[in-house]
Amino acid sequence: MLKKSWINLLLIFLPLVAGVVELILINIFAQALPPFMMTADFGVFAFVFGMTIRNLGIVAFMMGLFITGLLLIFYNRALRRQAETHTLVEGAKLEAEQGRRRFLRRLDHEIKNPLTGLRAALVNMQEVQTGADRQRAVDNASHAVERLTSLLTDLRKLSDLGERPIELWQVDVPDLLQDVVDAAHVLPAYKGREVNLLIPKVPSPFPMITGDRDLLVLAVYNLVENALKFTCETDSVEIRVNEDGRAILIEVADSGVGIPAEDVSKIFEELYRGSNARSTEGSGLGLALVYRIIALHDGQITVRSSQEEPRGTVFTIRLPVNKKKVMLRPSS
Amino acid sequence: MSPDRSTLLLADDDPTIADSLAPFLERAGFHVLVVSDGVNALEKAQSHHPELIILDVLMPRMDGRETLRRLRKAKIWTPTILLTQVGEASERALALEEGADDYLNKPFDPHELLARIRAVLRRVRPGERSLSAAWLLTADDLSLDRRARRATLGGETVELTPKALAVLEYLMTHPDEAVTRERLLEAVWGWEYPAGTRTVDTRMAELRRALDDDPADPRFIETIPGEGYRFIASVHGEG
Repeated sequence: MLKKSWINLLLIFLPLVAGVVELILINIFAQALPPFMMTADFGVFAFVFGMTIRNLGIVAFMMGLFITGLLLIFYNRALRRQAETHTLVEGAKLEAEQGRRRFLRRLDHEIKNPLTGLRAALVNMQEVQTGADRQRAVDNASHAVERLTSLLTDLRKLSDLGERPIELWQVDVPDLLQDVVDAAHVLPAYKGREVNLLIPKVPSPFPMITGDRDLLVLAVYNLVENALKFTCETDSVEIRVNEDGRAILIEVADSGVGIPAEDVSKIFEELYRGSNARSTEGSGLGLALVYRIIALHDGQITVRSSQEEPRGTVFTIRLPVNKKKVMLRPSS
Repeated sequence: MSPDRSTLLLADDDPTIADSLAPFLERAGFHVLVVSDGVNALEKAQSHHPELIILDVLMPRMDGRETLRRLRKAKIWTPTILLTQVGEASERALALEEGADDYLNKPFDPHELLARIRAVLRRVRPGERSLSAAWLLTADDLSLDRRARRATLGGETVELTPKALAVLEYLMTHPDEAVTRERLLEAVWGWEYPAGTRTVDTRMAELRRALDDDPADPRFIETIPGEGYRFIASVHGEG
């Protein structure tokens, strides 16, 4: 009896052991071999044993088939998963490559214009006779250089943002927004205009957020600068802030001409210029920077815009209230 | 060459930069030696004893960092301006390790370089190791351990944000020098900010609060109206 039960066990587990060994060998030496080879092998294996030991042979045969079937299912599933991952990786690679090409094309365009201006200015400097014309050429050259410098600075900011860790301190948002409004006074587009800053009186004090104050100033400032740049004197620009217990919402709104619907989804791309932004000066990286900064703060930025009455554009930044563990700013 | 003209050694492998900067600096009253790689810079620094060296970072044969490291190793304390990007904290620490007296981001306005050269020449005593190469800076009861990124006042640790600490570091390594807000922005933040001057003022207020320094009667940091700031206490460097 004892002997027989040993043989039983052996017959049940032998196909399993053989199957595992075979699976390992196939994986090492012949990954491309279809798994039906295994099925055939198991079938033969179990059949031979079935013939040898009559009654128990049937059990062993059925067990062998069952285990083989299971192995087959697992193997197929693994193969499919591998194929899916491969497709995903390939897709991401392709997208990254397309993004890189698009970026280079746009960069080429952004550099081309000021460089052409600079070359023309240099020719003028050599050829013009009068002092006034020469001064004009010098001014134009300086202007072209400034444009290139500002493009380079913004490119560096973008690359820096990916590399350097951001500071995480408590930030008083209303205070930060006031700084943005004060700083915007130097913009030529601000002349003769007002930026309304709306800060709620309740709750008081306003909830703090955790982040890099300087970067957040830069983000909101870029939005305000855009709002002023793409609107005229009779339009209004407004900064509003609110909170819903979990996040702080900062809105930069203007009553300008609005962004064409086909541009809305692309404006946060690097160096993308919407159809009504082509003639306006700028590096084309301002909104990409804003997007990157808000993402670094675990926040979101959205935009809604209408070119029909009531027209205008509203950028909404959502920043989580003190989500991360914070280092407290030294007390004042 | 008149004897009272200071000699500058300019090392940059880009001929358009060297060819344009050299005459500009000559017009400003300096005698300029130009080399195009680090090995030559090292040789000229040892043979011609310039008053100041301007080193580009990326150069063939030996880069600017390595050149400076070797100069300092040979105990040659000629003041040096490194033309580098110092936005990142690690970069700044590197510049410090090499013992650069100042640094400037490319692209720069030549007038800014001239201002830096003059400021460094005014500050540095010939042959002496400069504060920029010291790891521990002290001014009265204030001390700054640059390696540990820690400041103490009267033995007590001063709580400072990393930016405020970097501002303090820049001011203490450039004592008695009028430092503009723009300069601080470039040196500490690495790039210009739109709300730049205000950003600097915010950090300065934080720094003064932490150091218990009264702006009306300062011990450490003085405001120069319309210009910037100046670290007025006498600074000593060690290590």
